[in-house]
Amino acid sequence: MIDLDLQLPLPRFTLAVRATLDENVTAIVGRSGAGKTSLLESIAGLRASTGRIVIDGIDLATLPPEKRRIGYVPQDVALFPHLDVRGNIRFASHDETRFASLVETLELAPLLHRAPATLSGGERQRVALARALMTEPRLLLLDEPLASVDQPLRERILLFLRRIRNLGIPMLYVTHQPFEALALATSCLMLDEGRVFAHGAPREVLYDFATDVDNVFEVRDPRHEPERGITRVTTSRGLELALPHDEVSSAAFPLIVRISGEEIVVFGERPKSISSRNVIEGVIAKRREREGSVDLTVTTPEIVHVRVTRGAADDLQLTTGRCVWLAMRSRSFRIVG
Amino acid sequence: MCHPAAVSDFGIVVFTLQVAAISTIVIAPFALALAAWSWRASGVTRTVVDAIGTLPLVMPPTAVGYLLLELLSRQHVFGRAIPFDILFTPAAVVIACAVMSFPLMFNAFRVAIDDSNARYFDIARTLGASRGAAFARVTLPLAWRGLAAGFILAWCRAIGEFGATILIAGNIPGRTQTLALAIFDRVQSGQSANALLAYVVVIAFTAVIASELLSRAQRRRLAR
Repeated sequence: MIDLDLQLPLPRFTLAVRATLDENVTAIVGRSGAGKTSLLESIAGLRASTGRIVIDGIDLATLPPEKRRIGYVPQDVALFPHLDVRGNIRFASHDETRFASLVETLELAPLLHRAPATLSGGERQRVALARALMTEPRLLLLDEPLASVDQPLRERILLFLRRIRNLGIPMLYVTHQPFEALALATSCLMLDEGRVFAHGAPREVLYDFATDVDNVFEVRDPRHEPERGITRVTTSRGLELALPHDEVSSAAFPLIVRISGEEIVVFGERPKSISSRNVIEGVIAKRREREGSVDLTVTTPEIVHVRVTRGAADDLQLTTGRCVWLAMRSRSFRIVG
Repeated sequence: MCHPAAVSDFGIVVFTLQVAAISTIVIAPFALALAAWSWRASGVTRTVVDAIGTLPLVMPPTAVGYLLLELLSRQHVFGRAIPFDILFTPAAVVIACAVMSFPLMFNAFRVAIDDSNARYFDIARTLGASRGAAFARVTLPLAWRGLAAGFILAWCRAIGEFGATILIAGNIPGRTQTLALAIFDRVQSGQSANALLAYVVVIAFTAVIASELLSRAQRRRLAR
């Protein structure tokens, strides 16, 4: 369990965060300047905050950064330019077993003798992760690790982050991308002007406050049907989906996939003839008005979020409690990692 | 460093380079410590530390020399605490050169350390390094070119030191006479100082070029 009760005066406001986090992955979201990075730096000991940071019953707030055993990967990763990749990773420790294990997990073997300046954004992130993990941290802080990498790399790094999550190291993960939080986090903390605005399950926090309508599912149990061009999978809550066979045939399961709520078509009656491979029956649990559009929360075996135009919502009388059918093209799913 | 009374131009050059090198080596740890203190300090503390480090640069060299003369004389408690005579010895030349070149080294070191990016230092601490270890393992390797440039600049300044030196070390040929003092001596007595001047120009030009190249290399390295 991680208990935070921190205060840090900042130029525009005082960061005052009080929260109890579980030992999994907590996503920290919020607008730019909300205090996310300051919070991470306070926890890492790089800012002179007051209060308590209790992890496993030990208050770390009075300890200097080197005694806290908190791994921190800043947004700019800050690899030491005078050391090669090997030197960076082994900066904190010369534990050969751990070094070998991290090099394997993060696929760093071909990079070990390279200088940081010659690495791509994704490679730098992986090296910075390995460097932080060499300290055997009791907590890992990640500040927008995917901010400076493009989409294919983003998916690949998410895969590595999920591997780290599976090592059982608690993480605080600052992100602007709701789908990242949904793909990785078990809880979500929303900051606004230095204070906790919302704290709870990522789906609840993000769908209540985010402007995007992303749906992220963890899928497993692949049944490949190459002759039909699809692979059937099951989400963690039992929703059956069909994904493009060519995109997932060689993927490692379980897999995280996402689909935007704007790409889901809503029908008032069961569609009879439709090319979408995924037609799901559900009930509208919540209708939220937005400017020019309506966001629907539909209960199927999974909670699915959909965005439709106000005209469509009115024409189909999409009100709470109504039964609807959702059509999702298999090609509309993005593989997150 | 004791020389016979009749000293060749080359002997004067060697003596000058020696005392400049010794004074530069002596002040380097102090300049580094003060620059590091200034780097991590903030507010009034930093202003005071910077002022202390820069003071001899803005004071007239003769005033600094006079102050040193007072401090090192047998009339002063500080001078009495030293078990041997310093004034008008080669050691006095070293002291004058050290004090007068200190600000150049301090300021160059401070810039080099500032340029090394405190972020790396902070990250090193999260990786388990103490302040000292982070400074030694990250900040110094990143700043070494700038530090070397500062070292060379201070050495150049020591070679050219005149005002404070003449007050506490005199101008004794073969004992305390440096290049700058010898040129002054020759001009006073109507002799040509061209040969000495040539030495000074060559040494200073080479050193300044080396210092500039190191500073540029430092900036290039940190910009990557």
